[in-house]
Amino acid sequence: MSDFRISRRGVLAGSAFLLASTALPGTLWAQTPTKGGRLIVASDSEPRNLNPAIVASNGVFFIASKVIEPLAEASFDSKDGLEPRLAVSWEGSEDGRSVTFKLRENVTWHDGKPFTSADVAFSALQVWKPLQNLGRVVFKDLEAVDTPDAHTAVFRFSKPTPFQLIRNALPALTSVVAKHIYEGSDIAENPANTALVGTGPFKLAEHKAGEYYRLERNDKYWGEGEPHLDEIVYRVLPDRAAAAGALEAEEIHLAAFSAVPLADLARISKVPGIEVVTKGYEGLTYQLVVEINHRRKELADLKVRQAIAHAIDKDFVVKTVFLGYAAPATGPVPQNDKQFYTKDVPAYAFDPAKANALLDEAGYKRDANGTRFKLKLLPAPYFNETKQFGDYLRQALAAIGIDAQIVNNDAAAHQKAVYTDHDFDLAVAPPVFRGDPAISTTILVQSGIPDGVPFSNQGGYKNAEIDALIEKASETIDAEARTGLYREFQKKVVEDLPLINVAEWSFITVARDTVKNVSNNPRWAVSNWADTYLET
Amino acid sequence: MSLLRRFLRTPEAVAGALILAALVAMALAAPLLFPRDPLSIAGPALLPPFQDWSLPLGTDRLGRDVLAELFHGARTSIAVGLAAAATSIAIGATVGTLAGFAGGLTDEVLMRITDAFQTVPGFLLALAFVSVVGPSLAVVVIAIALGAWTGPARVARAEVLSIRERDYVASARVIGMHPLEIAFREVLPNALPPVLALSSIIVAAAILVEAALSFLGLGDPNRVTWGGMIAEGRAVLRSAPFLSIIPGIALVLTVLGVYLAGEGFVEASAARKRQS
Repeated sequence: MSDFRISRRGVLAGSAFLLASTALPGTLWAQTPTKGGRLIVASDSEPRNLNPAIVASNGVFFIASKVIEPLAEASFDSKDGLEPRLAVSWEGSEDGRSVTFKLRENVTWHDGKPFTSADVAFSALQVWKPLQNLGRVVFKDLEAVDTPDAHTAVFRFSKPTPFQLIRNALPALTSVVAKHIYEGSDIAENPANTALVGTGPFKLAEHKAGEYYRLERNDKYWGEGEPHLDEIVYRVLPDRAAAAGALEAEEIHLAAFSAVPLADLARISKVPGIEVVTKGYEGLTYQLVVEINHRRKELADLKVRQAIAHAIDKDFVVKTVFLGYAAPATGPVPQNDKQFYTKDVPAYAFDPAKANALLDEAGYKRDANGTRFKLKLLPAPYFNETKQFGDYLRQALAAIGIDAQIVNNDAAAHQKAVYTDHDFDLAVAPPVFRGDPAISTTILVQSGIPDGVPFSNQGGYKNAEIDALIEKASETIDAEARTGLYREFQKKVVEDLPLINVAEWSFITVARDTVKNVSNNPRWAVSNWADTYLET
Repeated sequence: MSLLRRFLRTPEAVAGALILAALVAMALAAPLLFPRDPLSIAGPALLPPFQDWSLPLGTDRLGRDVLAELFHGARTSIAVGLAAAATSIAIGATVGTLAGFAGGLTDEVLMRITDAFQTVPGFLLALAFVSVVGPSLAVVVIAIALGAWTGPARVARAEVLSIRERDYVASARVIGMHPLEIAFREVLPNALPPVLALSSIIVAAAILVEAALSFLGLGDPNRVTWGGMIAEGRAVLRSAPFLSIIPGIALVLTVLGVYLAGEGFVEASAARKRQS
């Protein structure tokens, strides 16, 4: 019995410890992680190509980031927001023509071969630069990668390339693949693109199409004592309603990427044992954007675009479409970006009267039915929210006399209609801000992009001033000057409205409270989960 | 006893007729009671029913008036149901009459085509057609008719086969009428009643198929449809089930009404035949 007696001193000591623990930053105070266990996660897609070095997208990273690692990962509180992974340090030269990476030692691939600078050089030159959707832009001037020793890689650029951009690109664009596996093969068709071999904390053990992916602990992982989990199983649950049910039934532990619909969060947050986590996606901000086809003569008129901007009630969109899990946007860089965001841009307050006045001024009078002109509106089908915003936008436009007809397409048909055939007047798109405007934001307004490039300026917009700014920023080495140019860029874009930024949102994770170390970095869902554990 | 009085004797038929009358009244009254675009935002989002008497059935996720949507949705359902039934009966009766009256090779070819259409599930056919051509009301009607015309074609052919041996057909032949004229002026009108008896089933099926297509996001997005309402409500099924239940009930009642009225009609006409 004596073991269970509660002494006063014990209680005091315990509460003092609790008090102290709340004062300490969360990262310092951690209980000893439980070893072992199988984490079961909901997954909504099975990418055809699972190689993150080629397909840098969240759907691929969600699974592959546990197997194949980047040079560095995003972090909440480390310097420049980066934490070392396969690289332990990185340094850019003054002239912007080289970046030196010191690589981690004693790292082995899952097949036992050692990881060296040759793998990094191969990945950069043979995969990221020629094949990767985002790497093509960022590494376009990468000329050579020198490997003075097995753990040093020096990237050499033919033109000055901002170190700030390379740094910001590290988490998403630099997944390293093994040279010995890909060399001499057709990289895009290599079987290792689905049977991944990496250096990460988990090995891809099994994939049953339509059922699950199973990841196994990598016993030789370089992280000391990591990973904590024995297995991660991704259960394929394409139906969004199913994820919530499976969580409640304790069939799965975690549903990331808002697999549980927003409308269900208020209810599920009250279920005991389930936590709704909004953190952990800061590095993957989605932007709700109205794409405009400037080939339409009405839309080529700035006054009409301003009228549309004034007709959209951003607060209503945030409150109703996103149920508060979003923020109204002010411009092409999201507010949660610490480096580039500026609020010093023109604002378009919700003001239908002003919108009507602008349209009258532009010379588009209402006819007998109260309609000024008709438009074709194509909401992107990828998210419930983009579709719902399409429904809202139709009503908002009706209020100012623009009759918008919605055209629904599946994902493939939508991309073809908007980005190849330009068969739209307005479209609703969810582009992603990836930590640097040069990665995937400037492409939305830049001119001269060939037809068919998805998520780019296909609206026929051309503004020499904005093009010049983008060009200049791409070769400005000094981080401060570069940031200044992008602030100017934001201002010009919001002034001229090549597209209208409506809201910014991120995803929500819903997890059982037994899963620990959830959302402890800004790209958590697509990071390696080496420190994640299951409390028993 | 007249057909109507006989019809009104069966309680199911009366119930069906009442439901249908209410539905037609809803459809006709929709633009008068709810002159605004039913898709316009009328109030706060996700207002439950019976809270605010200006919005008696509440609002959906964007704050649209559910009652207005329900009334305007009735228009779409009825329009699609009737148009699809009319189209499929027109196609079916024509094909059936031609096949039955011409016989021989024409009959073989037409009936094998009918067989081919019958082996493909009608809903699959509609799904494929709409996803290729693109969703709009006319396309949806054609898509449904595409799968529904085979029934009327078979019934019409069977009927024509017996009618073409009758004396008045032979006499029409003797006086030198053109075969097509005989087929469509003498034979078809007499073959039609049993074909029309199929119409209630076809209307009911068409309403359901339209709802299913809309539920899958293949309806006309610029119109309110009950199927679309159910699909929209699905995302909030756990927190606002009324958004799916209300149009669901409307759908069930409508199909039931059409079916009961159709049954009653068939019963009534069968009874008349027995008496005569």
